[in-house]
Amino acid sequence: MGDFGFLIGIIMVYWTFGTVSLGGLQELAHHSPDSVTTAMGLLLFCGVLGKSAQMPLHVWLPDAMAGPTPISALIHAATMVAAGVYFLGRTFFLFTGEALHIISWVGVVTALCAAIWAFGQRDIKKILAYSTLSQLGYMVAGFGMGSLYGLHHGDGHGAALYYGIGASMFHLTTHAFFKALLFLGSGSVIHACHHEQDIFEMGGLYKKMPLTTLTFAAGVIAIAGVPFIGAAFFSKDAILYVAKMTNFPAFLILTGTALLTALYMGRLFVIAFLGKPNSKSAEHAHESPWTIVLPLVVLAVCSVAGGYAGLYPERLGVLVQNWVPLAHGSDHTLMLVISAVASVVGLGLAGLVYGFGSKTDRVEDKAPPVYAFAKSKFYFDEIYNAYVAKVQDRLADFVSFLDTLFISGLLVKGTAAVAGLFGIGARRVHTGSVAAYVWWFFFGLLLFGAFAGGFLDGILQK
Amino acid sequence: MTQLPIAFLDGVSACLRSAGTSMSGFHVYLMIFAIALPLIMALALAVSGKLPERMVKACAAIGFLVPGLSSLWLGAVYLASATDGGYMFTVLADLGLSSRFGIYLHLGLNGIALPFYMLAGLVGMAAGFYAIQSGVERLRLFLILLLVMQGGLMGVFSSVDVLFFYFFHEFALIPTFVMIAIWGRTGRKAVALEVTIYLTLGAMITLAGLIALYVFTGATEFSMTGMRAALWGSGFPHQGTLFGLLLIGFGILVSLFPFHTWAPRAYATAPAPVAMLHAGVLKKFGLYGLIQIAYPLLPQGAMEWGPLLLWLALGNLLVIGFVTMAQRDLKLMLGSASVMHMGYAFLGLYAYSTVGIGAAIMMLVAHGLSVALLFLLADVVEKRGGTADMSELGGMGTRTPVLMGLFPAAMMASVGLPGFANFWGELGIFVSLYASPTPWVLYLALLGIIISAVYGLRAVAKVFFGEAKGEIPDGDIKASEKWPALLLLAALFLIGLWPRLISDPVNEGVLQTFPDRAPVITAPAGEISLTE
Repeated sequence: MGDFGFLIGIIMVYWTFGTVSLGGLQELAHHSPDSVTTAMGLLLFCGVLGKSAQMPLHVWLPDAMAGPTPISALIHAATMVAAGVYFLGRTFFLFTGEALHIISWVGVVTALCAAIWAFGQRDIKKILAYSTLSQLGYMVAGFGMGSLYGLHHGDGHGAALYYGIGASMFHLTTHAFFKALLFLGSGSVIHACHHEQDIFEMGGLYKKMPLTTLTFAAGVIAIAGVPFIGAAFFSKDAILYVAKMTNFPAFLILTGTALLTALYMGRLFVIAFLGKPNSKSAEHAHESPWTIVLPLVVLAVCSVAGGYAGLYPERLGVLVQNWVPLAHGSDHTLMLVISAVASVVGLGLAGLVYGFGSKTDRVEDKAPPVYAFAKSKFYFDEIYNAYVAKVQDRLADFVSFLDTLFISGLLVKGTAAVAGLFGIGARRVHTGSVAAYVWWFFFGLLLFGAFAGGFLDGILQK
Repeated sequence: MTQLPIAFLDGVSACLRSAGTSMSGFHVYLMIFAIALPLIMALALAVSGKLPERMVKACAAIGFLVPGLSSLWLGAVYLASATDGGYMFTVLADLGLSSRFGIYLHLGLNGIALPFYMLAGLVGMAAGFYAIQSGVERLRLFLILLLVMQGGLMGVFSSVDVLFFYFFHEFALIPTFVMIAIWGRTGRKAVALEVTIYLTLGAMITLAGLIALYVFTGATEFSMTGMRAALWGSGFPHQGTLFGLLLIGFGILVSLFPFHTWAPRAYATAPAPVAMLHAGVLKKFGLYGLIQIAYPLLPQGAMEWGPLLLWLALGNLLVIGFVTMAQRDLKLMLGSASVMHMGYAFLGLYAYSTVGIGAAIMMLVAHGLSVALLFLLADVVEKRGGTADMSELGGMGTRTPVLMGLFPAAMMASVGLPGFANFWGELGIFVSLYASPTPWVLYLALLGIIISAVYGLRAVAKVFFGEAKGEIPDGDIKASEKWPALLLLAALFLIGLWPRLISDPVNEGVLQTFPDRAPVITAPAGEISLTE
């Protein structure tokens, strides 16, 4: 579905600029900014909807969790879903202001909704999948608003043009570290618990698997954006800052989402790792071999340190330092306080709400409507399934029926039947009775006589 | 990146050019042999007494191998020589019909004919080897008929003379009817009858149109080049009527909506090698005829019929697309899908630009390879699972892992995944539609991608995933079934990665054939061309 619009967009770009080479496009778009249209940008953005799983084309990503965990880590953390955001970064010059507005809102809504849905999940990988959706929403929103900020409020220097890229790509990079860490950590847990994926069947793993717990905690801290030791603190900060400068409602939503992020990740952590073992498989769990733990340690270090621009290699460092929009002055303090509060309050609330270890979801027990609201996933799956079963398949059956009835039946068989009727009629004439043939003979003779006598001239001449 | 292969080809072409004219005699013989050898082998098998089975198989193998390899060799020579898309390897033999009717045995390949010719050789090889190993009853008769078909196919796409073009088509068509009637699955008699009547009707209308065209052009030679030369720069009357006759006649043969109902049933019923050769190669006769004859000679008629053709092509694409989704039988589904994909090719013709027509040719070649591959694999599925009903198949993936690798790959190729030849054809057609007078068609045409992805992925899911149903006593795909499949898949892949193999001769051929008649669409300033 996403590629549907994407392809139209590419073809539109081709016929507008005569090239689809990114370098050539940038130059052409720079020289003739009028030929860049909103429709073109939005059509191209359709590809991002599909590839980076933005609403409403997000349903495939949690379903793809059926694959093996290392594949999830690769696909969700760094490579495939990053394609959409990366694509935005490479084609930022093809988006108009209106297109960027819409893109920002799609990202904001995705970030919020996915964070809410994460509360309704019990499967550790599903929770991480929804958190990926939410973080992708941040990136897309960051691109949209960062580019808008660069367009309208650019503070004079050339790098403002690239604020959208800086904000989204920085978060993409830090997200790659901590999401890969979280997925591989969940893989380690699932491996230890004999393929148990339900977090309420885990619990108490901190005693059995200290290293996995520690590294997982680093991942949770990173995604929650705890000041100075969480990578997302820095990268999310940049996105929140551009949101504050361009789109205040979006800023409020994204800040709330940051709190929700800390909350659902805290929920996952306290239930799966703290408390007492809730099942036999959790009781028998033991630390995974070093082949599994070593990557976790490496990624944990990166997750903690990934927010510091100085740690990047020189050329990348230039990008992170110059292109990432950073707050300054009073805003700087404000952003710092907001991030710190959101992350710490979120994590603290998780401990309060869910306790330290629990066999059941306390929100489900105490406030079923809230849980049901999160679990419903706003009925996207149901709507799509109903569309396929009720509309698409029925339409296919109906068209097929019409095809059989009218074209194959009425037209083709009908023609054959008409030919057959002629045959039957002609056969009826050949009765084999001499008497009948004599009558036909007389009839023919009569006709001949009439013609010869000129009685038929009036009819024939018409 | 592409420097290496081109440099390599340049080397080959230098060698060939240095060989000079002494080679051309050889090539001419090769052209004739590619047609004659299958027929000679068929005749030999027919008249010889009792032969050991291995002998029969060996004779048939030669009959398929020689045309296949010749087509590849001639293709390589054509690509390597610096042509402008015009005719090469021409043969002109007077069979005694020239003085009164202007009819010669006139063979040759231009840039448009070449891809189809190579397609016929390749699919012929694959279908032939699959047939030889398939173990049908009365193998000898089966192979004789299939050889006759192959001889006809090689003739169709190398004929410059229009009468022989038509004649060879009939040559290939008649065995189809007989083979469906004898070796088809349930309901074969009725289907054979329907196909015979329907296709003969189409062929008759086509013949009437071709003869009328010959008379009105006033050409002295009944050949594609002769009629084109006679018309150079002059318009002539009755274009609309003539084009209509050719469009309907050729259209019936390519299952243009609403003349399509024969196709799915015929392909589902026919034995696999016949379905491969007919759906893969012979069916392309209709569109090939439109591209080589009707469109370049009758541009005015093409304009008049354009709007109607648009709706019919959309009928192919969308109506038959939905019909395909509703199919339960794997082979019926493939048959419908093949009808549906013809809609893309017609849309490329409708766009009536060099991009559109060139992409339609690319699409037809890719479709020929992929549909032949799919019919082969579907036949293997049917043999292993005992049925082609998808609701009774399931979970074959774990039990037939190699087949599980091949079938989805073939399906993805047919859906138009980048990396396979089909992608370039479809992309080019979409690009051309955007620049046509009615760019909104692009949006409807793109729905076709979604439709084909839905039925393609569903078929893969139903057959290979889910709970295991039924017994599979014979196990995975055998080597004798695997090699023809790999041959076709490799060709799809090669063209997918290096489309210039096909697009270069096609671009030049189209520019040659449509000299300033078609509104040539050149890409606006920029370095990208369709295939780079």
